[in-house]
Parts: sequence; C-alpha cells; structure tokens
Amino acid sequence: MNKIKYFAGETWASLRKNLILAVAAIAVVSVSLGLLGLVVMGWNMFSNMIKNTERKVGEIDIYLSDLTTQEELQAIEAFLASIPEVDAKTIYFKSKDEALQEFKERFKDQPELWEYIDENPLPNSYQLMTKDPKDVGVVVGKINNEAPYRERIEDIKSASAAIEKLENIFDKFRQIGTVAVIALALVAVLLVSVTIQVAIFARRREIGIMKLVGATNWFIRWPFVLEGVFEGLTGSLLAILVVMAIKVWILDRLIESLQFLRLSFSSGLFAVLVPCILVGGVVIGALGSAYALGRFLEV
Amino acid sequence: MIRMRRVTKIYKGNVYALEDVTLDVEKGEFVFLVGPSGSGKTTLIKLLIKEEEPTSGQIYIADTNINQLRKWKVPYLRRKIGCVFQDFKLLPHKTVFQNVAYAMEVTGKSRRLIEQQVPEVLKLVGLGHKLDAFPDELSGGEQQRVAIARAFINRPPILLADEPTGNVDPSLGEGIVRLLEKINSTGTTVIVATHDKNIVNAFRKRVIALENGRIIRDQDRGVYGYE
Repeated sequence: MNKIKYFAGETWASLRKNLILAVAAIAVVSVSLGLLGLVVMGWNMFSNMIKNTERKVGEIDIYLSDLTTQEELQAIEAFLASIPEVDAKTIYFKSKDEALQEFKERFKDQPELWEYIDENPLPNSYQLMTKDPKDVGVVVGKINNEAPYRERIEDIKSASAAIEKLENIFDKFRQIGTVAVIALALVAVLLVSVTIQVAIFARRREIGIMKLVGATNWFIRWPFVLEGVFEGLTGSLLAILVVMAIKVWILDRLIESLQFLRLSFSSGLFAVLVPCILVGGVVIGALGSAYALGRFLEV
Repeated sequence: MIRMRRVTKIYKGNVYALEDVTLDVEKGEFVFLVGPSGSGKTTLIKLLIKEEEPTSGQIYIADTNINQLRKWKVPYLRRKIGCVFQDFKLLPHKTVFQNVAYAMEVTGKSRRLIEQQVPEVLKLVGLGHKLDAFPDELSGGEQQRVAIARAFINRPPILLADEPTGNVDPSLGEGIVRLLEKINSTGTTVIVATHDKNIVNAFRKRVIALENGRIIRDQDRGVYGYE
C-alpha cells in the first residue's frame, strides 16, 4: 500500500513536471487510436452494406422455369459443377418455398407485399460463387452459351460491377487506414518514450542515489512504466470519447438518413472495439516506456 | 568481511587503475585507504559496490563472491554497504529528514519505522535540530553528516567513505571522521579513502597505502606516510 502510494506520487510529480510533452504524447496516442476506431467503424459499416445487398461479389443466381424436370435439374447442376471457374462447393439449390420464406422474412415489416398471394410466384434457382470474383463474366457467358436445357434457364443475375468497384475502393481505404494507424501508433510509442527519457534525465541524480542505497531495479523503473501507461491509457480514453461522439452524432445519423444503402454496425462491434482501444493505449504506453528504460536507464 | 584476491582493474586504453591487489578487512575494523589522487582508491570502492567490474581477480563480501552475483541481486549487496562521497550526493529539493528517509523508502520500509528511526539517526550525527532544513541551508560538514546518516540508516555491516572530508572545512574534517569512528564502534566495518594527512595521523588506525594501483604498505596504527 505504502509502495503504491509512493509510485503514484512519483508518477504524478513527474507528469506535472513535463506537462507539455505528456500532453503531446497523450494527444498522439488518442489520434492514432481514434483513427483505428474510425477505420474499424467505417470498414464494418461498409462490409455490412455489402452483406446486406442481394448478391455478394462473385455470386451468380440462375433462375429456373417451373417446368424444369428433375432430370433436367440434375443435368444443369452437373454442368455448373463442371465449369472450372466455379467453386463447386458453393452450388446451392434454392427452392421456390425457400425463396418465398426469405422474401417474407425480408419484408416482414410490409406484410401487404405477400399476404394476399395465393400462388408462389418465385422461381427455383441455383446459387453459386466463382472462385475468383473477376471470373463472374466468364462464367455467366459459359452458362448462357453452353448450358444444357438452356430454355429452362429464365434469368442469370450477378453482382453489379458497381459494387465490385466499391469494394475495391473500400479495400484501399482499409489498407491505407491500417498503414496510417500503424504509423501513428509508432509515432505515439516514440513520443511516449521521449517523455519518459526526459523524465529519466530530469531525475538522473535521484536515480543514482536510489541505486546507491540499494533500490531494486523494478523499484526504480515502476514510476516510469506507470507514467507511460498512464499516458497511453489517457490517450485511449480520449480516443473512445471521440469515436463514440462520431458514432452517435455522425454515423448513426448517416445510417438513419441513408437507409436504402443498408449501412449498419454489427451487434457487439463496440463491445470489442472499446476494450481493444483501451488495450492498445496501455500497450503503446508500456512499449514507449520500455523502449526508453531499455535505452536510457542502466540499472 | 571484505576479501580481495589478486584484483586488477584496467580501464579502456590500457590504464591500470588497480594491479594485483590482495587484502582482507575483518568485521568491525576501521581502515584508512590512503594515496595520492589517481592511486586507485576510488576504483577500489567502486569495485566493492559493483559499480565497476574487476578485469581479473576475486572479491568476496561476507563470504559471497560478488563477481558471480546476478544483476538483480546487486541492489541487495548495496543495502549491506553504506556509501559516503566527497560531494555528499544529497537531493537539493528534499529536506534533511526526507533525504535520510529516502534510503528507507526505496528499500520498502514502513512509514512508522521511518518516522521513528530517521530522527534518531539524525540525532546521532548531531543534526537532531535540523530535520526540516534543506541541504543548501547547511554547511559542508553538516551536509556530510546528513549523507552519513543516510548511509547508516539501514544499519549496513559495511560503510565506505570516499574522501568524506574533501568538501568540508578542514577544522570540521576531524569531527566527520570522529562520527565514522562512532559508527565503527557499533560493529560496522568502516573504510575511509582519503588523502588528508592530518586526519590519518590523528586517528592512528590501520592504514592501507596505494600507489599507482598497487598496495605499497599495510600497517596497523599507521600514519599517512607520504611527503
């Protein structure tokens, strides 16, 4: 107890002594972790949007006539499985009934759409994924030209090129975001380490005397480690505030007003993101002080 | 208490600071380590508190070979050895009480014990009335007494003093050594490195004389002996 009070006091005194540097370090920690939060939120929103659209990139739906017989179905399925660009595992037969169930589920808020239907108007269909999304065109062409019982195939639908492009853009966004987060996190580690170096330098006399009277190495190190972790933790708390503010005041409203895009956050995203930012702050602070201690405190 | 066996210390650039030094200091002894500047006195003290490593030879403190001491155990070695230096090494922004208490704080002593023992030891060194003074309000002699109190507060079996009278008014130097003698009388082994001829001659203790890193004389009830 005595020790904890001592360490806390030393840490606080040291932080106050080089306040400006400590504030700068805290700011960079919070910017880097805040950016991490933004990238994760943006990415999550977008991937949910893709997930919520009817067709994924690389997916092809083949709608069949109700007149198709069992043998014809088998022949078509065998043909689909034989196309090299198709991932055969993903071939799935969706029956009329299943399609209707799905339709009801999706429009459960608008029952007037399906309540008065006597007969199921939805067709049987095959769904499949290409191994590589860019082969969608090739596969659609092969089905069009080479499929047996071509007359039974009423329509072939694939994800629009626009979505594919959008996904590429967001992939870039994620990559650039990741690089920026890592770079900023490194800067944050270095800045924390600079504040600790300054603190070590300011207390070099005391450190010398501590060694002289037999203070253990960890006794000397703890206040500096705490200082770094405190800076990291404060930075991450600020980042969480900023991230939540952006979510509540900007992104939630965006989702609300752009409902047709079907943007959304995964449930449980923030239960993961918030602790991750906290842990990130602690790790940045600890790494920063560890680096400074390793280089500048010979014990 | 202290045994050195054929200890040699060579600094970078082939500078021999100590050469083939063998000596024994028994528990409770009082020893003057004398010699001109650069004769190796300070190096010898640094080796004993493991601030420097010997180039060759063995050093034993209380039957422990400190050459083989693991790094994390060094602080525990230093708790057994109180140190006093020419420049006092006091913290200027701490009071006399806090400076001495510091040595107990960093070794994890309780507040109660600190409040009880620090004034006691400061009284012993004759500064019982200056607990709240800051170092720059004290004379050199008084500052050195604070440093001695700090070195002694944890009752180490060994006390090393490197030129303890160097920054003290000559008329007060004897008082400092008298204090070290008092500490010695409690059973603490004391080694005083000095080139203060008058003091060595006044006390008539065991004298170990160093010159160019070698022991040239080891004499009981000795005198300074250099001219």
